[in-house]
Amino acid sequence: MKKILKRLKPESIRSKSGLAIIVTAAILVEVTSAVQYLFARQGIRQEVEHRAESELRAKRLEIRNVTNVVEVAVENMAWAVQQRLQQPDSMLAITRKLLSDNEYIVGSAVAFEPNYYKEKGRQFSPYSYKQNGNILSKQLGTDSYDYHSMEWYTVPMKSGNAHWSDPYFDEGGGEMVMSTYSLPIRDPQGNIVAIFTADVSLDWLSELINARHIYPSSYNLLLSRTGQIMACPVESLVMRKNIEQVTADIEDTTVDYINRQMLSGGSGQATIRDQKGEKNYVYYAPMGDGTGWSMAVICSDYEVFYSLRQVGFNLFILMLLGLGLLCFIIMRTARNVRRLQAVNAEKERMGNELHIASEIQKGMLPKTFPPYPERDDVEIFGSLTPAKEVGGDLFDFFIRDEKLFFCIGDVSGKGVPASLVMAVTRSLFRTVSAHEASPERLVTQMNDSMAQMNETNMFVTLFLGVLDLPTGRLRYCNAGHCPPVLVGDGVGQIPVLSNVPVGLMAGWKYEGQELLVRPQTTIFLYTDGLTEAEDYKHAQFGEGRMMKALKEMTPTDSQTPQSIIERITDTVTDFVGDAEQSDDLTMLAIHYTKSQLDVKFTRNLVLQNDVQQVGRLNEWVDEVCEAVGFDATTTMQMNLALEEAVVNVMNYAYPHGIVGNIHIEAQANDMRLKFTIVDSGSPFDPTAQEEADTSLSVEDRPIGGLGIHLVRQLMDSINYERTEGKNILTLRKKLTQK
Amino acid sequence: MKTTIEENGGVQVVTFEGRLDTAASAQTEKDLQSLDYESGQDIILDCSHLEYISSSGLRLFLGVLKNAKEKGIHVYIKGITDDVRSVFAMTGFINLFEFKQ
Repeated sequence: MKKILKRLKPESIRSKSGLAIIVTAAILVEVTSAVQYLFARQGIRQEVEHRAESELRAKRLEIRNVTNVVEVAVENMAWAVQQRLQQPDSMLAITRKLLSDNEYIVGSAVAFEPNYYKEKGRQFSPYSYKQNGNILSKQLGTDSYDYHSMEWYTVPMKSGNAHWSDPYFDEGGGEMVMSTYSLPIRDPQGNIVAIFTADVSLDWLSELINARHIYPSSYNLLLSRTGQIMACPVESLVMRKNIEQVTADIEDTTVDYINRQMLSGGSGQATIRDQKGEKNYVYYAPMGDGTGWSMAVICSDYEVFYSLRQVGFNLFILMLLGLGLLCFIIMRTARNVRRLQAVNAEKERMGNELHIASEIQKGMLPKTFPPYPERDDVEIFGSLTPAKEVGGDLFDFFIRDEKLFFCIGDVSGKGVPASLVMAVTRSLFRTVSAHEASPERLVTQMNDSMAQMNETNMFVTLFLGVLDLPTGRLRYCNAGHCPPVLVGDGVGQIPVLSNVPVGLMAGWKYEGQELLVRPQTTIFLYTDGLTEAEDYKHAQFGEGRMMKALKEMTPTDSQTPQSIIERITDTVTDFVGDAEQSDDLTMLAIHYTKSQLDVKFTRNLVLQNDVQQVGRLNEWVDEVCEAVGFDATTTMQMNLALEEAVVNVMNYAYPHGIVGNIHIEAQANDMRLKFTIVDSGSPFDPTAQEEADTSLSVEDRPIGGLGIHLVRQLMDSINYERTEGKNILTLRKKLTQK
Repeated sequence: MKTTIEENGGVQVVTFEGRLDTAASAQTEKDLQSLDYESGQDIILDCSHLEYISSSGLRLFLGVLKNAKEKGIHVYIKGITDDVRSVFAMTGFINLFEFKQ
């Protein structure tokens, strides 16, 4: 469990902000759409109300159009009835006239009070009616039909006002729904003497009420003042049912309230639930002044808000899709951000490592200039400008036994791989040259080592030189590198064999070359980063410009290696301009000055290769030391150094039993004393021997190997040269300042 | 160069006089062969009168020390001059030997 939690934790922390965004967005969208929904709902409610009220108003107008016509016509004819009260037989003509003038009026009677005309009997009511397009007449009152008790007669008689009867179905007559409009007729004294009626067909009402709906399934309902259903979409209820019967099974008490309101001529609106419990909106209003009719418009909530719900549903789906999309985007973004962070962290780490690598690489190059301030025979300056953090160029130098070992190289490729090869090359140079002074053998050894482990076919162009400082003899070996330039009395390239670059072919025997460097000459070495430096047009600096710059150098400029390199750097920087540096730029300048102080003193000694002659050497060294003014201790040290060096030659130069000479010369100037030991024996370089380890214990300590160690300890410098078949060993000791 | 060995109070004392250079070392090597490593007696190398020593002489000293160590006996150096001491220092021999005044 803990494991799972551990695994979940960082994930959940990372997704926390994403989750917050999604939740916020969801709430925002939800609130927005809820508000929008509410507003839209309110708008729709207002719209429904508006439409329902218009509907009610319109229907009322249309009903009034008919009832007004009827009322006006009847009132007009009533005047004729009043005028002819004395002529009972003209009444029928009046009713016929009313019928013929009005399409809505299908029957009309003038019903008199009982026994109004003595001659006409108790009931006198001339009546005309329409049948099949004809107007027929008859007496209304019969024994079986006493009209004096009918509603249409008694109500206006009692109130003295016009009256619309409750609608009724005219069975046996017109077979239609009708309502009778009754108007009291008064005699000149103001007594009501008769009721003038007009039977109005209400067939048009049903049609009118059902004609239009404000919604496809909304419907209109017309009620009489007693609650009779006069018009509704269900034909079977019309004139057969009372509204209270129809709504009896509806639980919603609002319905009863509406019923009461409608029957008492009120108007308004309400929300009800029908038998199925569905929500409906009811708008109702009275339909006429005298008729007592009331109409209601009923629309279902479902239908009214159908499109809104549809829109709401669509919105909800859209919102879900949007949220889903948002989720997806956030997850993708979060993943990308994580990936980016990882990449950035990796980049930073690599950047840091590169920076460290760059520092390490810089540390491998000589960086203290001038490197040998105490020496008067050589001055060196070098500079390496890598194109990237780390580069594949190298230069290095050091002095061992009065020989300057130096090299400059350029690893194929750039960046980290090149820098690794550069580091290997540099350390190989240091390792192999510790015990070897021949450039061709040094390069051959380096090549063998590097070719063996060269998996990537990287190689180094290398120029390696060994300058013998006492003589100015330069031995060098070129492995595919560009030829260095000598800047002295003239300017010229050093002739080089190209051989092959280091690291490519194991077993290649490199060939060395040799020349004598005159004093006051500078060896200028460079990598192709100089000659191949490009300006923005990709033109190369070239050897020509380099040689020209070197030739044009003033004597002041060419005096120190630093000024030479600075001048060349300025020239190439001007040439390149703003173009990006494409390759490492490396230069090394070695200014050679042979120290030539006046020789004040020379002594010579010739010995044979016999250790018993050491005594003679002692005496001679004592003499020399006395001549240069050394004290006893220094004299003892000179004796010891000379004895060790000479005995070494005696033991190794000549084969056993062969007698050979050893020439020893002592020279002194104002500065130092120099011993030169020359023999014609087989080549033997004592300086190439392993240093004795003076820290070993008695058991591990070898018996031999001490001699050359002592010489190094006692003398300021030791130098070996093999020239013209001779071994030349030079030992130097500074003179004691007096 | 003169090398003498004498027993003195259960200790073998080797006295060097003069210059122990390469020429002299052959004879000195012979002289030192009479040292008795089996007797269990410690060895004192008296260098009070040793004027000079070269690497061939140091080799002889190291030989004596190695032989003695094998037999578990001590080798002391006595009365060394500053010049010779400096040679011992340069070669690290100063760490190998025990010194006595």
